[in-house]
Amino acid sequence: MKEQIISLVEEILKVSPGAITENTKMEDVEQWDSLSHVLIIGELEDRLGISIPLEEAVEITSMQELLEKAGCV
Amino acid sequence: MLKHKTALLSNVNMDFTVRMLKKEVSVYEPEGYGNELGTLMNPESSYYAFGAETTFLILDLAELLGHEMEPSRAEALAGTWFHSFENAMKDETVYYISDAYLWCPEEAVFYDSGRKQALEHIWQKGLEALAERHGNVRILPYRRMIEKLGEENAFSRKMWYMGRIPLSVKAQERLCGLVLEKLRTEYGTPKKVLALDLDNTLWGGLAGEAEHTPVVLSDDRRGLAYKNLQRVILQMQRQGVLLAIISKNNEEDALHILENHPHMVLRPECFAAIRINWKPKNENLLEIAEELNLGTDSFVFWDDSVQERQLIKETIPQAAVPDFPENPELLAEAMGDIYRKYFDKPVLTGEDLQKTRQYAQNAKRSRLRETASSFDEFLKQLQIVLHREDPAENQERLGQLLNKTNQFNLTSNRFTPQQLSQMLKSNQKRIYLYRVTDRFGDNGLTAAAIADISRKTPVITDFVMSCRIMGRNIEYAIIEDIERDLKDQGFSSLQGIYAPTAKNKPVAELYDRLGYGLAAEEQGRLIYETTLPSRAKRVYYVKKEGMDT
Repeated sequence: MKEQIISLVEEILKVSPGAITENTKMEDVEQWDSLSHVLIIGELEDRLGISIPLEEAVEITSMQELLEKAGCV
Repeated sequence: MLKHKTALLSNVNMDFTVRMLKKEVSVYEPEGYGNELGTLMNPESSYYAFGAETTFLILDLAELLGHEMEPSRAEALAGTWFHSFENAMKDETVYYISDAYLWCPEEAVFYDSGRKQALEHIWQKGLEALAERHGNVRILPYRRMIEKLGEENAFSRKMWYMGRIPLSVKAQERLCGLVLEKLRTEYGTPKKVLALDLDNTLWGGLAGEAEHTPVVLSDDRRGLAYKNLQRVILQMQRQGVLLAIISKNNEEDALHILENHPHMVLRPECFAAIRINWKPKNENLLEIAEELNLGTDSFVFWDDSVQERQLIKETIPQAAVPDFPENPELLAEAMGDIYRKYFDKPVLTGEDLQKTRQYAQNAKRSRLRETASSFDEFLKQLQIVLHREDPAENQERLGQLLNKTNQFNLTSNRFTPQQLSQMLKSNQKRIYLYRVTDRFGDNGLTAAAIADISRKTPVITDFVMSCRIMGRNIEYAIIEDIERDLKDQGFSSLQGIYAPTAKNKPVAELYDRLGYGLAAEEQGRLIYETTLPSRAKRVYYVKKEGMDT
């Protein structure tokens, strides 16, 4: 599941495979702005069935946190 | 990258679509969202500074109605939106406005199953009326895009709550594709003829091996796939695509199927030209181009044989040669793609809808020409009649003639629908529009001219004629009609202009032939003049009807 989440993030940010790791922070990736973040959270739910509650979703600042909230550590 | 400046405005968050569009086209970056009318109404807005030629308005119906779900109140709200839009819109911009898909939570508990449709219909009706009133407003088939994807895939509740983004990534990708498709249609030149093979193209198998292996065309399995392809092609034909057959068969065998097979949807009369023989297909295509008086760049050639496609690609590179699907099940869909890519037009006119008949009549005219003893004899036998028609009632066709005619076009001026409406109202212009008929049928509205009558000597600023009726001396009858009309208005002289372009050489000597004298040359434009009435002797065989003044 972790790999699927990472590749979904890469797809939405339109970065090359391998550009995103478990340790990537939002601020390190130019394309990861608030719009892309909304798309990532939405697609996680629509495509992978992973629902992160709204209030928690807006707090996320890194891949680490995203994976934690998605329940895969 | 498309060079036309484009804007996408919305009452919801479409930033991601705009971001994708940015890679393909010069696009306006809106300041936030939800203020599409405010943006359009504010002359100081960055939107006007950007200067979009085409503006897409993607509207979420539930938001636009403020979730008012009671039809009569919803209708009033939609009416207000249209009214505001009409006050804000500019004549020189082309607008694509989305039709409606109602996506809202309360829809789940509507007790009346027709409510959703009724609300969508309110928008649809208003939008159609708006497009009817304004030639620069078009309808963007947004609902179809949503339906094809399915509501559950197209919308995302999560993104809506987080960022007022209703559409999923996938749906926004489709929307981006739809916008680009419409831009290409808006600024491209559509093809006119679809040239088709028969065996393994319109039906499965080979004609002529009848008794033992009948062709595959039926109401089930592979036979149905071919039948469905024909259904798509028939619809295209009804929307103005000319069809031609270029096939290697025994003509008799193939025609027998075309005429008699119970599952044929396309019959011989659907085709503007038919070549069933054993000649190389490129020769046949060139012959058809000549017969229909169209350039080879107007052709799309479709054939299951990769060798035949290759032959056309190499010998007639101007023609479009799309790929052919491996599997008959994909035929109908592939044809839909071909339609959208090559034939789609922003607006269809009555002329488009009658094209095949007119071109088929033309083929009969060509045959008469081959049998007539002389050119004069041919013209006499055609029994041509010229009718002057009301241009105001045929404004779309008038625009199409002026803007799309290249060969017989003396000045090649192009006009927006708004410029045309203004000219039609102006008392400084006389606009002439002609229908040409003959013994084979109606050629349709095929010639137009504009005279500027603001000065002592009026000037024919524009004169166009469809290539369909060229070469029959009809222009002599037209110019005499214009001359007589202007003389009746009290004018005693008349000028005409020729402005050369790469394509209008066929009319370089028109005014000389019409007996006008060269009066001046200004920046490459030749100004000709005649006294009224003209004393030139012009030979033509055209009856003028309903033009007595």
